[in-house]
Amino acid sequence: MIITPQELQKWVNEGKSFTAIDIRPKEMRIESPLSKLEPVIANTKSIPSINNDLVLICQFGIVTEGIIYEKELKNAYSLLGGAQAWNEFQLAKEDFSRWSRQTVLSEIGLEGQKRLMKAKIVIVGMGGLGCPAAQSLMAAGIGKLKIVDGDTVELSNLHRQPLYGAEDIGRMKVEVAKEKLERLNGDAIVEIEDLYLNKDNGYNIINGSDIVIDATDNISTRILIDQFSKELGVPMVYGGLFQYEGQIGVFNVNGCKGYSDLFPVSQSDQDNCAKTGMLGMLPGIIGNIQALETIKLIVGITPNLAGKLLMYDGMNHSTQTIML
Amino acid sequence: MIKIKIKCFSQVKYALGKKELVLELESGTTTQEVEKLIRKKANRNLDIVSLSVAVNKKYISKSLVLNDGDEVAFIPPVQGG
Repeated sequence: MIITPQELQKWVNEGKSFTAIDIRPKEMRIESPLSKLEPVIANTKSIPSINNDLVLICQFGIVTEGIIYEKELKNAYSLLGGAQAWNEFQLAKEDFSRWSRQTVLSEIGLEGQKRLMKAKIVIVGMGGLGCPAAQSLMAAGIGKLKIVDGDTVELSNLHRQPLYGAEDIGRMKVEVAKEKLERLNGDAIVEIEDLYLNKDNGYNIINGSDIVIDATDNISTRILIDQFSKELGVPMVYGGLFQYEGQIGVFNVNGCKGYSDLFPVSQSDQDNCAKTGMLGMLPGIIGNIQALETIKLIVGITPNLAGKLLMYDGMNHSTQTIML
Repeated sequence: MIKIKIKCFSQVKYALGKKELVLELESGTTTQEVEKLIRKKANRNLDIVSLSVAVNKKYISKSLVLNDGDEVAFIPPVQGG
């Protein structure tokens, strides 16, 4: 069983009887003592047998989950997010334990999570790329997501756009997506624009955001996103698809090239998936790589795809990265 | 003579039916000349497709003279999903 810092605090407030057991190494206990708890000190190999509800605490809440499972402890809870999440909850009254599996990553940590929760991301296009990108970003705790699409859900979308079901056919994609995305994280704000980005509205749509994700299905809109991305200094995370292949790039960040520098010849009508066909997994992969690059940019993780074009081939799972 | 490797992506791969090919060319051959050759091999299937070019995994904006062992990638813009 697990218990969150918020739930444990409720136990404390209600005077419920429990025994906290700190299994961390001594140096970790000294470096970050558990705030407002008086734990029994133990180690991973010898958990004391106490006739009480036990709350096992390690640094990130992962080791204790394993111990409870392996030893088949019946009256024991693992503190989700561990000492890190507990102490942060005591300090800021904010429970980060939900994201403990990513804050445990040294590149993310609590500071990175806070950046994600303050971030404002625009996704242009809520089709095959936009759906998985939006889902992953919401699950990761992005604070504000603006989703832009003027299209309605069609039967032929469903195989690659997992936010929508048959009952949604005919509804505006952004409206359905907002409902589904808010279920993933009720604390996040999802703004919708039920229109297509164009030269007249693009500036206002992208202005004020930290990153714009290009999840469109056409090159002319992509070129507009690139122009506004440059003009506003908002990095663009690009994704493109062709049958079993995908492209991902991060443009217009720290002096890097833009989409129009890479593809200077405008093509208004090339093959889109309606013409060439596609399995739904491919946009799932590429949209998730776009979400990953977005997270890396927000948190400041390197290496990333800034100034590079990654090409992925889903047929033999090969990749090639081109420096721009 | 020089030997170069061509890497084909999306529509180029589709048009040529190959992901890679090796060409033996005259010394002094440029990327622009190779592009013409590729378009010819594609039997007009690439006529409306613009191609960006990378040599040895680095994008180039202007044609350059190729060296023996170079790897040339032809990258079309693609749409989305």
